Amino acid sequence: MNNATIEASNLSKSFGEKQVLRDISFGVSPGDVIGVLGKNGAGKTTLLELVLGFTAPTAGEVRVFGHQSYNLPGQTKARVGFVPQQDELLDQLSVADQLRVIASFYPRWDAEMIARLCADWSVDLKARVKAMSVGERQKLSILLAFGHSPELLILDEPVASLDPIARRQFLEQLLTLSADGQRAIVFSSHIVSDVERLANRIWILKEGRLDWQGDLDSLKESIVRLHIRGAGSELPELTIPGVLTVQREGAFATAVVRDWTPEAHQALEKSASVQIEVEPLGLEEIFVELHR
Amino acid sequence: MKAVARLVYSYFMGAPVTRAFTIVGLVLLAIDFYMLTALPQSGGTLWAAILGLIAFFTGSSLMPVMFGRLARSHSIRVLPHGRIKLLASAFITTVLVALPAGILSLAAFTSGVSVSKSLLVLAEDPKILAFVLQATELTFTSSFLLVCWLYLAMWFITSERNLAGFIKGLLVVMVAIFAPAREIRDLSVSLVWNLQQIAAIWIVFGAGFLLWPRYRAAIARRGRSRFASFGNKLGPGISGREFDLLLGTANPWLLIAAQVCPIVIATRIGYDTPSVWLYYLTIFSTVAGAIAGQAAERSRALWLRGDWSRDALFTQVERAFWRHNSYVLGSLLLLMVGIGSYAGFSVTMLAAGLPLLVLGTVLSTYLGLMITRGLRTLEALLGVGVMLSLMAVSVLVASERVDLVAVITLEVCLAVLAVVLRSVARRRWTQIDWMACRRDRALSARGA
Repeated sequence: MNNATIEASNLSKSFGEKQVLRDISFGVSPGDVIGVLGKNGAGKTTLLELVLGFTAPTAGEVRVFGHQSYNLPGQTKARVGFVPQQDELLDQLSVADQLRVIASFYPRWDAEMIARLCADWSVDLKARVKAMSVGERQKLSILLAFGHSPELLILDEPVASLDPIARRQFLEQLLTLSADGQRAIVFSSHIVSDVERLANRIWILKEGRLDWQGDLDSLKESIVRLHIRGAGSELPELTIPGVLTVQREGAFATAVVRDWTPEAHQALEKSASVQIEVEPLGLEEIFVELHR
Repeated sequence: MKAVARLVYSYFMGAPVTRAFTIVGLVLLAIDFYMLTALPQSGGTLWAAILGLIAFFTGSSLMPVMFGRLARSHSIRVLPHGRIKLLASAFITTVLVALPAGILSLAAFTSGVSVSKSLLVLAEDPKILAFVLQATELTFTSSFLLVCWLYLAMWFITSERNLAGFIKGLLVVMVAIFAPAREIRDLSVSLVWNLQQIAAIWIVFGAGFLLWPRYRAAIARRGRSRFASFGNKLGPGISGREFDLLLGTANPWLLIAAQVCPIVIATRIGYDTPSVWLYYLTIFSTVAGAIAGQAAERSRALWLRGDWSRDALFTQVERAFWRHNSYVLGSLLLLMVGIGSYAGFSVTMLAAGLPLLVLGTVLSTYLGLMITRGLRTLEALLGVGVMLSLMAVSVLVASERVDLVAVITLEVCLAVLAVVLRSVARRRWTQIDWMACRRDRALSARGA
């Protein structure tokens, strides 16, 4: 048996007629911090909830720590932490009671770490959950997912309701957690800068497929903007491999391409007698270009 | 006016199920109107009217749900005259739903006293005309009042979906049942009294609804509400197993209190007809199980944190609900025995009534546990069918000449239905899909 945290093969999920995920395969190993990006409705939540076994795939399979996710045994669940998009807190309890209730489900609970995080994040243990703001509730949801030091942490848009300071603290905590290389973190977010800062691997979902999966550096090397200058007053007809968008103006053209390689660069310069400058793109620009 | 009309239209036609009920209701009412005006009166005309009115009312059941959601939304604050339009739409809907009873009453009385079935002929005799019009006005206003109470109960129960909501809903149901029953007993119903009640309800409700934002703003300026501090006092007393806390079955005493309070108030009103009590207690027995409808949604957090398969989780959830419901049902059965001695229940009535309460709780619990993919047509129809069956049995049990064989047969049938519902619930839980059972997400709209 290998030590993969998650293994998914040919995963598909439909809701009635609507196919949300199509034929997705991926693997997650300890040490991976995976940022899941996608437009609204791309299937991010569905993908995460399939991994957690909340729903069964229409086709394919997901295995978490070697077990089919739909039938996870208790010991495996104790190795998983989850922060849902919408919190599932008990309004009638105090923060301390809420923490105690959830802690009671786990054989291991790092009360010391939670106490420290509560202090760092200004979470009032005596506060009543129903009186908390959306951001405070989100902080508490995150604490509940951290407490048992999970080896797999899945977070569905965890920072959407947090203020910039809390977001930074949260990201720092995630970095701390991921630093030992023993655990895997999968999180979806619309805040691309956070993904860029934290993730070492990126999944980009588009129309139900994993349009990109790989490490961040490879993504940045693969999808770039080309500034092309022709020798004369007009740019000749160009056949640019892997072009996503192109804008031409006289002797100049700007193109965004994917799967760009030094070989492709040399071949294009030679065949069209043009000069090409490569501009690396930020993750947000890459995301936008992939969705044009 | 356009917004109000659109809202009213949406209440009746907004969802396929309500649209179907509205159309069926209107068709039945039209048929009944024809029968009343063109054919000799019979028992069939009464049943067509009852079914038509129930279907038409059910067709408008989106009103309290939409009203509650819009009233609590942020958008109502920015919509021009949003609150007034919303209130107007609720009033118009109530009038529309109450109107058929008045019209049918007018048709029935007219055809009953006039051979030519024409109001013009009646107009020749002022006394008869006055009687017919008075009866029509009474029917309309009584129907209007009943519809108001029922909407209010539905609003509390659907918008709050917690014990506070159930308590408020039960109080309103109690008023809706006992007030008219008492008026019938005392022959105290009058048009003026009905109009006074309607005016009081709508002035209080309307003023409260329109002034609520100002009240909240004032409270916010002053710090916090006195009610909030009362809530905090309740908090530390909360206890129970962690499983029950997550599932919402930790504290049966709140629900017991929710049942006892209205019953105590009802006894103070002084009503003592056994049939009404039995009817009322039967409704209560179903409320005890209704919280099971939220079990599937709440169980997601449990599944992720415990060593349970989906099948084992159902067993745990079922146990938790029976731990909870046994207290509630036990108190209800004790109440029934107490009320039985107070209201003079016969031994037969007690013997047949006690199992009926148990069946009410069992059926509603398993109906609730069956809801693993949101409330869909099948569950809604089953719910209505079960309620109507329980009501029918309670009417049979309370009738003067009880047909014990029929009652026992029906109760056995309901018990068999409970076993079937349990097996369906269990099968559904073995395949529970937590993406599909969350009420805040429509399945068809799911993308991410």
